[in-house]
Amino acid sequence: MKNPFQKNPNKIRESKLDIGLSVLNIVLLFAMVLIVVLPLLNYFSLAFNDGNFNINVVFFPVRPTFAAFKYVLAGDGAADFWRAFGNSVAITLIVTVVSNLVEAMAAYPLSKRDCPFRGGILMYFIITMLFSAGIVPIYLVMYMFKLLDTIWSVILISISNVTHLLYFKTFFEGIPTDIEEAARLDGAGDLQLFFLIVVPMSLPIIGSCCFFTIVGTWNSYGSALLFISESAQGKLAQPLAYYIYLMLQNKTLDKNNSWLMANGQNVEAAAMVASIIPILLLYPYVVKYIKSGLQIGSVKG
Amino acid sequence: MDQFENLTVETPAERSAGELAPPAPQEQAAETVRNEHREPTYWQDQCKRIKKYRKLLWFLLPAALFTLVFSYLPMLGVLFAFKGPEFNLTKGDVLWNLSHGTWTFTNFLDIFVDKSFYRAVGNTLLINVIRLFICFPLSIFIAVQLSELKNQGLAKTILIIISIPNFLSWAIVIGIWAGLLNPDIGLLGRVTGHIMAKDAWFKPLVVFFSAWKGAGWGCILFYSAIMAIDKSYYESATLEGANRLQKMWYLTIPSIMPTIALMLVLNISGMMAAGFEQVYTMMQINAGVLEESQIILDTYLYKISVVNRTNIPFATALGVFNGIIALTLMLVGNKITSKTMHRGLW
Repeated sequence: MKNPFQKNPNKIRESKLDIGLSVLNIVLLFAMVLIVVLPLLNYFSLAFNDGNFNINVVFFPVRPTFAAFKYVLAGDGAADFWRAFGNSVAITLIVTVVSNLVEAMAAYPLSKRDCPFRGGILMYFIITMLFSAGIVPIYLVMYMFKLLDTIWSVILISISNVTHLLYFKTFFEGIPTDIEEAARLDGAGDLQLFFLIVVPMSLPIIGSCCFFTIVGTWNSYGSALLFISESAQGKLAQPLAYYIYLMLQNKTLDKNNSWLMANGQNVEAAAMVASIIPILLLYPYVVKYIKSGLQIGSVKG
Repeated sequence: MDQFENLTVETPAERSAGELAPPAPQEQAAETVRNEHREPTYWQDQCKRIKKYRKLLWFLLPAALFTLVFSYLPMLGVLFAFKGPEFNLTKGDVLWNLSHGTWTFTNFLDIFVDKSFYRAVGNTLLINVIRLFICFPLSIFIAVQLSELKNQGLAKTILIIISIPNFLSWAIVIGIWAGLLNPDIGLLGRVTGHIMAKDAWFKPLVVFFSAWKGAGWGCILFYSAIMAIDKSYYESATLEGANRLQKMWYLTIPSIMPTIALMLVLNISGMMAAGFEQVYTMMQINAGVLEESQIILDTYLYKISVVNRTNIPFATALGVFNGIIALTLMLVGNKITSKTMHRGLW
């Protein structure tokens, strides 16, 4: 995508105002990049730094050491960290697979123009997007099912995702019906049709929705705040983002450990860096998505 | 066989299945003849379609069940908003509490005399209005700036970098800034002092953190809308002698107006939610200092219904009331978009 001004055949010379604007433009954009990058550099370099020299850190570690990582990943903090990490992996995997599978399946019949009660069924789903009775009733439902303080409360509350249902529906509507008719003549049943024809043809939208589910689930701890207490049983079900949230309040610090008291912030930063790694693995997808024309933003239900 | 069904007009078996009250036997033959030439009634039509889609409709079941249990069952919880204050989970389970005790409407009236409620609504609206005037134009501004770059490869690289914070959790974002603003060792905090604990700084910081986290990713939508504008408009504008500023103002902005309007309406629809995770984490990091003045609706609801748990029916009533306001805002927003842009929000 070339800028239109560049291939202007008439070669109108840029005025001083225009040149000034281009300079300002570049300066402003680089300022924004710096505002984003410098805080990240400053804080994450703490993860690689010796806690007694934190005050000297600007954008790079001054006394490089992996002590904080060692503490989080293999030392005294490892048990808590890996348990939270495992919980987050389990929650994210189950939610991503089940939620998108279930919503895509529901979207398939709804994408047919002559599906019976189509408007009514759609309304049934959309109402849940518009109105919620607040957090007390959902808390009481989890209480009734005895799911509080388990990862299942966090998982089950995240399954239903009407926005993705609408994305899938819009996409399925664009699939030519001839292909399905042809497959049907060849004797394909509904299940075969869906999993062997429709799903492979919809991989772009399914990929995007899965990506957003993964990022959203990995980073959210609002439902964990709601359903998982700080009790001994709740501790077993903490997702990683919630564990880091507790770390910020120094609730995980052992006051008797003098090394930890000096390196508290470094341990925090190390845990954060470690928790970002799974998202970083997905970043090539973001890059591809931005480079390839940013289609999903304009998809609407 | 399914694909041929819509070709045939109607078979008698289907017709009789579709009718609410089948006609008397002696009339049936005459009916059949007449029906051949009539449009099928609503129920006949639906039955035919149900038959055609009888297997496919099972696909809806899992999603419908999840929605029923985790969205509609809680809606029944609205009932708790009408229970008396003796509601207590230590005395019996949820259903026991529902069937025992008194019913009352005063919980809803109590909302209007609750001082914290007004403060929470005020803070929520204030934060969201500042966001609307700062974060929202900022995203558009960045998108326009990016599209003005001669090198669009560079523009996309910048876009990728500034959208990084969007992929960090709020705990990490606030942790990073709490570290930077730490008055003892933070790079900025040594200059500014402990502003995260200062009351006057709370709302500006909430808005700043949301801008830092979301502006880069938020501008993607506007950026792609600008990229979709026909390039020949710019060429003719250049020939007419328009400078860059004029092209920006009279061409780019009007062209992405539909996207701007849609996002504006979406923003206004979400006016009652000011970001629970963000605000609650920022409050907790100050370990309870200044809580009252920083309260927003979500955190207030959380505090009275999960942390304190003293008056569950009142907390339910407040949640329901909040839900109704949010619903109204959404419906109004949808009305506006469908009136002005001929397409709804959903």
